[in-house]
Amino acid sequence: MNLQDFLSSLTKRGGGDRERTPLPDDLESAVRQVDGNVDLIGVFAASAEAAGARVRRTSGADWLTAIAGILGDLDATRICTQAAEVGFLSRARSAELSEHLRDSGMTVSTDTGDDELFSADASITGVSAAIAETGTVVCESGPNAARGASLIPPVHVAVVGAAQIIPDLCDYFEQLPGGPELPANVNLITGPSKTADIEGTLVTGVHGPGKLFIVVVATAS
Amino acid sequence: MSASTPFQQRVAAAVADKRVVRAVHLATLKKVEAREAGMDQLRDFEQIRSLAAQVKQHTLDYLPRYLEQFVEQIEGRGGAVHFAPDAEAARRIICDIATSRGLKRVVKSKSMTSEEIHLNQALEAVGLRPVETDLGEFIVQIDHDTPSHIVTPIIHKDRRQIALAMQRELGCEYTEDPTELTMIARRHLREIFRNCDLGISGVNFGVAETGTLCICTNEGNGRLTVSRPRVHVALMGIEKVIPRMRDLPVFLKLLARSSTGQPLTVYTTLISGPKRLQDADGPEELHVVLMDAGRSDIWAGEFREVLRCIRCGACLNACPVYRNIGGHAYGSVYPGPIGALLTPLLHPAGGHEELPRASSLCGACGVACPVKIDIPDLLVRLRAQTHRSHPLAKRVAMRMWLWAMKSPLVFRLGQRLLRGLLKDGGDGWATDGPGPLRAWTQPRDLPIPPKRSFRAIWQAELSNEDKRG
Ligand code: SF4
Repeated sequence: MNLQDFLSSLTKRGGGDRERTPLPDDLESAVRQVDGNVDLIGVFAASAEAAGARVRRTSGADWLTAIAGILGDLDATRICTQAAEVGFLSRARSAELSEHLRDSGMTVSTDTGDDELFSADASITGVSAAIAETGTVVCESGPNAARGASLIPPVHVAVVGAAQIIPDLCDYFEQLPGGPELPANVNLITGPSKTADIEGTLVTGVHGPGKLFIVVVATAS
Repeated sequence: MSASTPFQQRVAAAVADKRVVRAVHLATLKKVEAREAGMDQLRDFEQIRSLAAQVKQHTLDYLPRYLEQFVEQIEGRGGAVHFAPDAEAARRIICDIATSRGLKRVVKSKSMTSEEIHLNQALEAVGLRPVETDLGEFIVQIDHDTPSHIVTPIIHKDRRQIALAMQRELGCEYTEDPTELTMIARRHLREIFRNCDLGISGVNFGVAETGTLCICTNEGNGRLTVSRPRVHVALMGIEKVIPRMRDLPVFLKLLARSSTGQPLTVYTTLISGPKRLQDADGPEELHVVLMDAGRSDIWAGEFREVLRCIRCGACLNACPVYRNIGGHAYGSVYPGPIGALLTPLLHPAGGHEELPRASSLCGACGVACPVKIDIPDLLVRLRAQTHRSHPLAKRVAMRMWLWAMKSPLVFRLGQRLLRGLLKDGGDGWATDGPGPLRAWTQPRDLPIPPKRSFRAIWQAELSNEDKRG
């Protein structure tokens, strides 16, 4: 069946004399909860923690040791990280990170194939944006930015540059490109994987990562 | 108890199952509290509800145009769109996609639309074994049960039943610990996800402007379903479309809060076409199955507003009737207040005329609904439509009721008569009314009329006043 035939069950009946509701244009004044005049890092950290993520605030000098510390505390040894340049994690910083972790005795792979992802103890990714209102980190798909990287390993460490934090959910959707630059897969991630299907008891890590760490890096520049 | 059992018998059986009634009570009351707390976090949730209602109503009022734009956008991004005028067509399209490509390992994320068309049975009929991967749906599937809530499918099950089902079907050790049970399911489903080749999902919102599918989930199985397999099929009712990307936050800020009280679901996934050439992973093919299946009939009639529903489940949790009879008693895929509307409207010949009467019209559903569907009012209107199908005796009784209500004399005489005829069942309730009244009193709780009526007391007080005055 083609589109026009399919739509004919609507168009034939028209109901053209019905009153039609207009599309509201000003959404923002009602929808916006957080504006730019607040301590964005503080609001972001509080919302993310409320959603069950653990937030570490670091400076440009100690973000590497912070990540190594998180992974060390978990006894994680097999680490997956992105080869792509995503947000704060530039190629240079990714390389620096891998080296630092290897020096701490971990195995680091930038290959995000199935074998790596399914056997990794943890993954580290950059993010495309972070949303203060909801404590959300955003992962977009792309070359070397696998959909599985923030999803399959049991621990996800997301690295956020402080400048990447935007105030409100509506700010993210406002800036998303509509054309071919729109990524095929975008995930807004708010806390670790959760279920409460069994008698309402909250359990984390049912399918996605059971632990989500967010490392916020405030650099001077 | 099957859906073909008369409604009143299903209700009687449900109410008698004290364990389920208690479980549903506790769970729904907890959710009502969570929703209220979640909504209160918003600066002005009433205004956001109004906006959400308006955006959805607008989209419906211009539905053909938005569907056209939506389809064009998906195709522009390399996705395929299929058109299913009815449930049968949707089932056939999806089975064809699977069989023509030799896809065998099918995973599903939770989708009420696929429940509506009984997709799993159709897939099984062509030799496939779809695996439900949402924890609740997985348990429903292995226990050969049906969901009883549109968001929390196993709200009616306790941990003992779940433990027994898992032990029996997965051969694992018996445990009632929710964390252990969840991890057993995780390990089992992980292997299935690793090797799947077809993923079937529903859709929460379709953005016309960009052809984007938005899927809201908490567990991560939805993300796995749309990113692991080679082929992703999304089944979507035509009412799910919204105009623009920037309309999404209006709904996202309400949906999870209304369902569970969360500000957002853990994962909000936006899918715009299949995997790009350079992408590291993702499905090579994206098929969107747009389904009508009775929706255009609703759209063309006086109940169009019902199609605004975003399936948050808030009206189920708020409903005192749902709370006391549970989801299965409705005998339909969509239970609760919205189910009492949707089910008879989607299946006019399905024998669901009783459902709109499964409401006390207390109004709690309408107050809870994030898209401001006036559910109580629509229920009354739907009742009026089915009035003509009532048995003669009932219609005669209603006429007599009307006559009595209009005449003070008849009303008074009727009151006296009933006072003599209604017998106390032993617990202060009259369950055994005389003659045809029995049909009314049996399934309902009618208190025994007091010795003196309010009118008699009132009259006596008035004449006392007169004497004093
Ligand atoms: S009718 Fe309203 S409250 Fe009920 S499920 Fe739909 S959107 Fe939610």
